Amino acid sequence: MKRRTFVGAIGGGTLAGVAGCLTRDESGSPNSGDDLSGSPKSGTITVATYDSMIDGTDPAGTWLKEAFEEAYPDATLEWTTAENGLNHYIQREAQDASLEADVYLGVNVDDLARIDDELGDGGLFLELADDRLDRTDRIRDGLAMGDPHGRVRPFDTGYISLVYDETVVDAPETFDDLLDPAYEGTLLAQNAQASDPGQAFLLWTIDAYGEDDYLEYWNDLAANDVRILKDWTESYYGAYMEEERPMVVSYSTDQVFAAAEGYDMSRHQIAFPEGQGYANPEGVGVFDRASNAALAHTFVDFLFSSDAQAEIAQRNVQFPAVAPEHVDLADDFDQYAHEPPEAVTIGYDRLRGNLDGWVEEWARDRTGL
Amino acid sequence: MSDDEPRHDRPSDTATGRDVTDRTGVETARIEAVTAWIERHALTLLALATAATLAVMLYVPVAIVFAEAVVDRGSVTLASFADVLSDPFFVGELATIAADPLALSDHLAGIWGWLTAISISATAVTVPGIGISIPWFAVDTPSLRLGLFGFTAYQAALSTFASLALGLPAAAVLAKYDFRGRRTIRSLTILPFVLPGILVAVGFYATFGRAGTINSLLGVVGLGPYPFIEWNPLAIVIVAHAFYNAPLIARVTVAAWEAVDVRSVETARSLGASRRRAFVDVVLPQLRPAILAGALLTFIFTFMTFPIVLALGGLELATVEVWIYDRVSRLALTEAATLAILETVISLGLTYAYLRYESAQSGLSATGSPPPREPLFPNLRSVVSPRRLAIVGYGLLALVVFVGPLASLVLGSVTDGSGFTLRHYAFLLDRQLEGESFQTLPVRAIVNSLLFGLATLLVAVPMGVVVSVVTTRAGRSGTVVDTLAMLPLAVSGIVFGIGLLQGLVFGISLPGGWRLQVTGTVAIVAAHAVAAYPFVTRTVSPQLDDLDPALVESARALGASRGRALLDVELPLVASAIVAGAAFAFAISIGEFSSTVILATGSDAYTMPVAVERYLGRRSGPALAMGTVLLAVTAASFVVVDRVGGRFEQ
Repeated sequence: MKRRTFVGAIGGGTLAGVAGCLTRDESGSPNSGDDLSGSPKSGTITVATYDSMIDGTDPAGTWLKEAFEEAYPDATLEWTTAENGLNHYIQREAQDASLEADVYLGVNVDDLARIDDELGDGGLFLELADDRLDRTDRIRDGLAMGDPHGRVRPFDTGYISLVYDETVVDAPETFDDLLDPAYEGTLLAQNAQASDPGQAFLLWTIDAYGEDDYLEYWNDLAANDVRILKDWTESYYGAYMEEERPMVVSYSTDQVFAAAEGYDMSRHQIAFPEGQGYANPEGVGVFDRASNAALAHTFVDFLFSSDAQAEIAQRNVQFPAVAPEHVDLADDFDQYAHEPPEAVTIGYDRLRGNLDGWVEEWARDRTGL
Repeated sequence: MSDDEPRHDRPSDTATGRDVTDRTGVETARIEAVTAWIERHALTLLALATAATLAVMLYVPVAIVFAEAVVDRGSVTLASFADVLSDPFFVGELATIAADPLALSDHLAGIWGWLTAISISATAVTVPGIGISIPWFAVDTPSLRLGLFGFTAYQAALSTFASLALGLPAAAVLAKYDFRGRRTIRSLTILPFVLPGILVAVGFYATFGRAGTINSLLGVVGLGPYPFIEWNPLAIVIVAHAFYNAPLIARVTVAAWEAVDVRSVETARSLGASRRRAFVDVVLPQLRPAILAGALLTFIFTFMTFPIVLALGGLELATVEVWIYDRVSRLALTEAATLAILETVISLGLTYAYLRYESAQSGLSATGSPPPREPLFPNLRSVVSPRRLAIVGYGLLALVVFVGPLASLVLGSVTDGSGFTLRHYAFLLDRQLEGESFQTLPVRAIVNSLLFGLATLLVAVPMGVVVSVVTTRAGRSGTVVDTLAMLPLAVSGIVFGIGLLQGLVFGISLPGGWRLQVTGTVAIVAAHAVAAYPFVTRTVSPQLDDLDPALVESARALGASRGRALLDVELPLVASAIVAGAAFAFAISIGEFSSTVILATGSDAYTMPVAVERYLGRRSGPALAMGTVLLAVTAASFVVVDRVGGRFEQ
C-alpha cells in the first residue's frame, strides 16, 4: 500500500542551527473490512507501547519480538514508545500526521472513551477482523472491554487491591471498614487524575457506592485521614516502603515482587475489600491507518498463544487474559499472584461521558479549595 | 573563491608575480573587509540568530497551545478566561470581583469586614513529638478562600523565603571563608538542580520517612520514630523546594559577591564605617540584584512546581500545574492553555517588576577584585566563637537537607530487602552489554547527556549574553524585551512540551501537503539552550548593569566596535557571572526532562533523566542505580566545568 511513503526528506530550515526537515506524507486510506493492507506473514510492523514493556527488568517486549520473528521468519517487529502513551497517537490522528505505528499494546478502557470523545465514535483503531484471529475465543469471561466497535482485545489484566502490613492492621473486610477509627491515618492512595491505580480505586468506590454517593464516602475517608499522593511509585516506594503508613492501594501481584526483592512478607499482605478487586485489563488494537494491518492481526493472534500468555503474565507481572487451560504458569507465580474472589470493572458505556466529571468533582473535593 | 585560490600558486600560472601579489592583496583586503563587517555586526548577527532560535523553539510551539485558549472554531473568544476567573475554585474570593467588577463598594466592604474580624491572642503550642509547650501568638483570621492560584502563590512565597533562608548563609560561607573543598562544594551546589522530581521525592521519604535515615539514627539513641513528613506535609514540600532552589540562590549570590570591589569596602572602612556598616551600605547593595534575581527565579519555579507537591504533600496541596497536567492528559487543551496563560502572565508580571527595579540600580563598579577570604577555622579556639558555631550549626542543617536525600538515594541503590546488593548496577551493566537496539542503554544516555550539556553551554552562553547586552541600559523597551526573554521560565513545562509535540514533532502543516518537522539531537540542544539562556542573562545582567558605562564609552571612542568592547572590556569584568551562568546552562541541560523525552521519541537521543524514568517499573532498584550514576556523572562534570571556568575567570 501507499501510506507513510516519505516522498521527500529535505534537510532545510537550518536557520540558527535548528535542523528542520520537510516531509510529505500521504496519509493513506483507512483499512476496511476484508481489505487489510499488507501480507499476514511477512513485512514489518511497528508496535507502540509503554516504557516498562520494553525497558523494565526482564521485559515482555524482548521475548515477544524474538518469539514472533521466530514464528514468522519473514516478519519483523519493531518497538516504539511515546511519552504520553496513547494520547500521542490520538493527537497525531487529530492532526492527520502520520502515525508511524501499526499496533498499540496497552489500551485501557478509559482510553477508548477518550478516543471517541476526541476523534468521533469508533476512531483511531480498526474493528478487528475475527476471521483472522483464531485464538481470541480463549479470552476469559468478564474481561471484555465493552467496546461497541470491537477495536481491542484484552491481552492481560491487573487487579487493584490493598496491600497492608499485617503487624499493624487487619485486612479491611469492606469499604466501610476503612472509615473505622482502627484505620485512621493508615491508607495511602494515588491521585485519580494522573495515576492508573488511583483512578481504578476511585472507580471501584464509584462501583460500590454509586455516582451519587461516592463523594460522600470519600469525604468520610478524608475525615479518617486518607493520604492521596501523586502516583504509584511515590506512594509505594516513597511512602509505603519507608513505613509512613501500613496500607496502600496497589496491585494484587505485589507479593511476586516482594518475594523477588527479599522483602518481609508480613508487610506485603493482600486485602480484597468486599471480596473484590478492580480489574484493569490491558488491550491491544490495530491502528486504522496501519500500513500492514494483516501482519498486525497475526501479531494480535500471536499474543493469545499459550507461550505468549505465560511470558507476558510473568514478565509484566499481570494475569493472563486467557482461561487457565490455555496457559501454564510457574508455581511461584501462582503462589504469590492473588486473584480476587470477584472482579469488578466499570465498562466503556458507563465511563463514556462520565469519567472526566467524576474525577474532577472528586479532585476538587480533595483539595479543599 | 577558495576553489580559485590554489591556481595562483601553480608554477605554470602565466600571471606575473606582481599580478599574483595584487590579486591576493585584493582578496586579503576583501577578507579583512568581511571580517571587519562581521566584527562590527557580530552582536547584531548573534541577536538575530538568538531571535530565530527562540521563534522556532519557543514562540511557535507555545503559541500553538496558547491559541487553543482563545480560538474556538475559528473565532476569537475569551469565554474560557471568564470561566476560570469567575470560578472560586481557581481564584478564590476574586471570583466575586470577576463576576461583578464594578460593585466596588461591596468589594471594599468585604475586605474591611475581613480585616476587622482578625484577632490575635496569646496561646501555647505543643511541639509535636517532644511534648514541650511554648508560648505562641495565635492569629485568628476568618477563612479566606484562596483558590488554586492563591494557594499556589502562597506556597511559592513560603518556598522562596525558605530557599533564601537556606541559600544565603551558604553564599556567605562560600564567599567569605576559605576552607578545604570550598571550590568543590561551590561546584556541587547545583547538584540538586539536575535531579528528577521522582528521585527527590523518593530521597526525601528515604531520609525523613518513619523508616528513613534520620529515624534510624535517632533509633540508635532510643528516640522516635517520628512522622516528620506527616506532621506537616506543607512544611516538607517547602523544604523540598528549598532543596532545589536554595542552591540556585546561593550560586547566584556567590557569583555577585565574588565580583564585589574590595576597594569600595576598604574606602568605606577607612572613612570610619564599622564592618557591619560597610557590609550593609557597600556590599549588600551590590548583592541585592543577585539575591532578588535568585528569589524571583525561585518564586517562578515553585509557582509552577509539579511533581514535588503531589509526591510529598498530596492532593490537598495541589497547585495550578497539577490541574494543567490533568487537563493535558484529558486532551482538554483549551482549559490547560487558559490556566497556563494565567500562570505565565503572573510570572512575567513579577519578572517585569523585578527588572524595573534592577535597571534602576546603576552602579559604578569598575572591576571585580573580591575581598580576600578569611580562613574558616584559623585555629582550634575559633571553633567555639558564636559566629563559627552558627556556621557549624548551619553546616549540620545543610547536611540533613541537602546531603541526606542524596545519600539516601545512593544507599537505596545498593540495598534490597535482604541488605547490601550490587544487582541494581548489574542490571545496568547487563542492559549495556546485552540490551537490544530498541532498549535504553546506560552509556548512551550518559554520553548524550554530556554532549547535550556541553553543546547547550556553548549555545546558551552567547544567547544569554546577547540578551543581556541588548537589554541593559535600553530603558523601558529594554525591560520589556528582557521580560519577554524570560518566557522560557514563565511557561508551564507541560504546556511547552505539548507545543513541541504538536508543533515540531508532528510537524507544522505547510501548503501542498508538506510538513516542517524539527526533532532529534539538534532540536534537543536548541530546546535546552532556550530553557537555559535565561539563567545566563539573569546572572550576567545585574553585573553588566553595574559596570561603569564610561568603560565601554572610552573603548568605543578609541575605535573598538561594540562587539570588541564587549569581548575585551565588559565580559572579562563579569566573568564570574558568566561562569555561574554557564554552570547553570549545563545543569539545566543535564536535568531537563519534559522536552527531551518528547523530542527524543523514536530516536536514541535519550538522556540520563529519561533513562531513569524508563527504568522505573514496579521495581525501584534499576532507576535508583541510574539516578546514582546521574549524580556521579553530574558531580564530576560540575567540578570540571568550574575548574575550567575558574581559569577563564582569572
